Amino acid sequence: MSLLSIQNISKQYTVTDPPALNGMSFDSERGKIVALIGVSGSGKTTLLRIIAGLETPDAGIVVLDDKTLNSSSVFVSPEQRSCGLVFQDYALFPNKTVYQNIVFGKGATDDSVRLKQLIEMAGIGGLEQRFPHEISGGQQQRVALVRALATRPKLLLLDEPLSHLDPDLKDSVRTELLNLFRETETTTLFVSHDIDDAMAIADRIVVMRDGKTEQVGQPSEIYKRPINSHVARLFGKTNFIPAGLIRGAHHVFEDEKGKGMIAPIRPHQWRIIEGATDDSNAFRGKVKSMINRGAHLEVALETEHLNLTLHLNAKTSIQVGSLLTVGCSLTE
Amino acid sequence: MAEVLWHLTKPAENWEHLRDTVFGRYLKGSILLVVGTATLSILFGVSSAWLVACCEFPGRKIFEWALILPFAIPTYIAAYAYFDLIDRLTPLLIWVRVNINQEAMTLLNDTIVYPVTIIVLASVLYPYVYLVARTAFTRQSSQYIESARTLGHGPHSTFWCMALPLARPAIVGGVALVVMETLNDYGAVEHFNIPTFTTGIFRTWLAGGDLPGALRLAACLMTFILLLLVLEKWMRFGARFHKNSQSDRPFQRFPLGQAKAGVAIACCLLPLVIGFILPLSRLVYWAGLTVAKVLDMSFLKLTLNSIGISTAAGLTTVLLALFLAYTAKYFGSRTVRATNRLAILGYAVPGAVIAMGILLVAKQLNSATGWVFTGSLTVLVLAYIIRFLAVAWHPIDSGMEQNCEQLNNASRSLGASTAQSLIQINMPLLCNSLVAAGLFVFVDTMKELPLTLILRPFNFETLSTKTFDLAKQAQIPESSVSALCIIIVSLLPVVWLNRQIRTMEK
Repeated sequence: MSLLSIQNISKQYTVTDPPALNGMSFDSERGKIVALIGVSGSGKTTLLRIIAGLETPDAGIVVLDDKTLNSSSVFVSPEQRSCGLVFQDYALFPNKTVYQNIVFGKGATDDSVRLKQLIEMAGIGGLEQRFPHEISGGQQQRVALVRALATRPKLLLLDEPLSHLDPDLKDSVRTELLNLFRETETTTLFVSHDIDDAMAIADRIVVMRDGKTEQVGQPSEIYKRPINSHVARLFGKTNFIPAGLIRGAHHVFEDEKGKGMIAPIRPHQWRIIEGATDDSNAFRGKVKSMINRGAHLEVALETEHLNLTLHLNAKTSIQVGSLLTVGCSLTE
Repeated sequence: MAEVLWHLTKPAENWEHLRDTVFGRYLKGSILLVVGTATLSILFGVSSAWLVACCEFPGRKIFEWALILPFAIPTYIAAYAYFDLIDRLTPLLIWVRVNINQEAMTLLNDTIVYPVTIIVLASVLYPYVYLVARTAFTRQSSQYIESARTLGHGPHSTFWCMALPLARPAIVGGVALVVMETLNDYGAVEHFNIPTFTTGIFRTWLAGGDLPGALRLAACLMTFILLLLVLEKWMRFGARFHKNSQSDRPFQRFPLGQAKAGVAIACCLLPLVIGFILPLSRLVYWAGLTVAKVLDMSFLKLTLNSIGISTAAGLTTVLLALFLAYTAKYFGSRTVRATNRLAILGYAVPGAVIAMGILLVAKQLNSATGWVFTGSLTVLVLAYIIRFLAVAWHPIDSGMEQNCEQLNNASRSLGASTAQSLIQINMPLLCNSLVAAGLFVFVDTMKELPLTLILRPFNFETLSTKTFDLAKQAQIPESSVSALCIIIVSLLPVVWLNRQIRTMEK
């Protein structure tokens, strides 16, 4: 059952700028975690702020739990929306302690047992009397999250929740976030430009481009079956092979520049073919450059018609300039 | 300052008499005035800043800049514009005398001047609070306000529970400036006949000719100011928690319904009308009546005097401020930085106290060198430098912070000397800050009254002293032309300030 419904939302800040949102639509089910992803300027944060009531759309409808929050005649103020928002830099009140921050929200202290549970679950027990500047970035993030969850919002909105954390911390916080969302059964919508975050946390991903919905689906589905080269690229390096050059591709899409059908092949799908082969999906070319990425070797291969990017085993022994035959695995 | 403070320990012939007769009145007057003006300035400044920064109502954008306009009106000119306010209360006083008694009338007469003076002072000084509060609400707190709203807080509780406590350190800073200006004021309190330390210094020195007594009063005032500075530091304690949370996105203001919008407009209009529109229109009206009579060669001469002395003060102060800020930045030893801090303290010291200190030093120099320093233009300019160094130092210092440090390091690593870096790299980049600093000092000097009155050479009139003299002789309409000239010049930095803040808040 759909909890949040976004219908044809448009927003343009100034006449000279392109619209930030241009007829954006999607639905989100109750209890699910949805990631909004897209490159910067695609309108992700604007949409989040419109749902929170911090900005007004030029047109469109926002419905939350069967209640219209935005339409041509309705505007529900942010404080009456029951949408908790965690800001990118957390916006913890610097003059209040962790505990004062958490209980600041309306109704946060109504259920003291639940509040205590939330604090324990988030692993911030014992920090209550500290000030925000006295705790780490990861702890600040969890405080902001507990502060938002304590008000029992129908929808939790997170703006780039992990962007301020260093890579080491990110993995553990991702897992903690996921556990917290699952245990509190909170419907969550989060904005991210990091595909790894979205893949790890989200049940569904909404890909945005130029203020519109480009593709909606489960993470693995979008990763494997992007609807165009933009979505494919967003999910990592991709080789775009003309469909005529490859046989048996499980997924193809129309080239945006009108050059026919394209098969997206990820760099890790390639393998080296030793000796002669009759594989019709084999390509032979010269190694132009190599970068050691630690876990794998990133190789740029120049063939007669294509420039390919391959991720090969780090132990592969090849040189720049050597000739290589590669084939691709087309199994999903 | 040290010279003045030293006089607390020296014997003064008439001090006991002063202490027993007028000291208590000066202290009471100063405290009442400071507390009243600070409170009303907070009411005017914080409420209008909150409305303009965080609420949406018709005319908000106009109020945003218009509320700064009272800055252009010096306190003594505002007082002259309301010169007849007390007179209009005469029927009430007569009624009290007839129906109660003479004592009640005297008491009422002595008491009524306080609220009147407080309203006049607060209505032209509140922009100090308004500006810092507005910046705190829009620039520093916008994301916190949004956060409070998504946590279920409406405008009322957001203001009281979050925005106001967060803006407190900034507001305290603004109030401190209001207090300093109140204690510095001479023209308005003299006009309304309120006993304060500043009026006391004038009366003791100019009317009584008692220099040691005046110095003691100046030392008391200085101690009072130092206590206030300590109090301000203590009250701004929370400032270190303050973090800039400015969002680069437009800020959704609280929309106000018709009735609330009406109240908001009234709240913004009230200080603006009292502090700018009403005094300015009265002055314009009087100027229209008297301009033909006032404009003559002597008026031209005093205008030239004002421009000349303000230009000299502006240029020398900017040069000294540039030197100080530059040495602090690039030879940043503790001593140099401490010297900087000490040098810019002058703005907290009332003009009358600086004048007393300078007078004392000049007298000592007179006897040491045989030259006459007292009553010379050099001493007057020196006093302006001491008083307004901070006004020039702040824009130059922040200009250096923004533009020059990395570039200066780069230029020095390329082999340029510090002097070459200053002239070829820093000065061209600091051009705007230098002009602003010069303009601020120019205008402040032109408005300045107490210091000029004490230290000016014999027969040296400026626009401000002429305004004061004419007002003192009850020729208020005649004083309006010179007052208007001061206001027009004072509008220049107000316009500049407004543009700067708008750019900063974008």
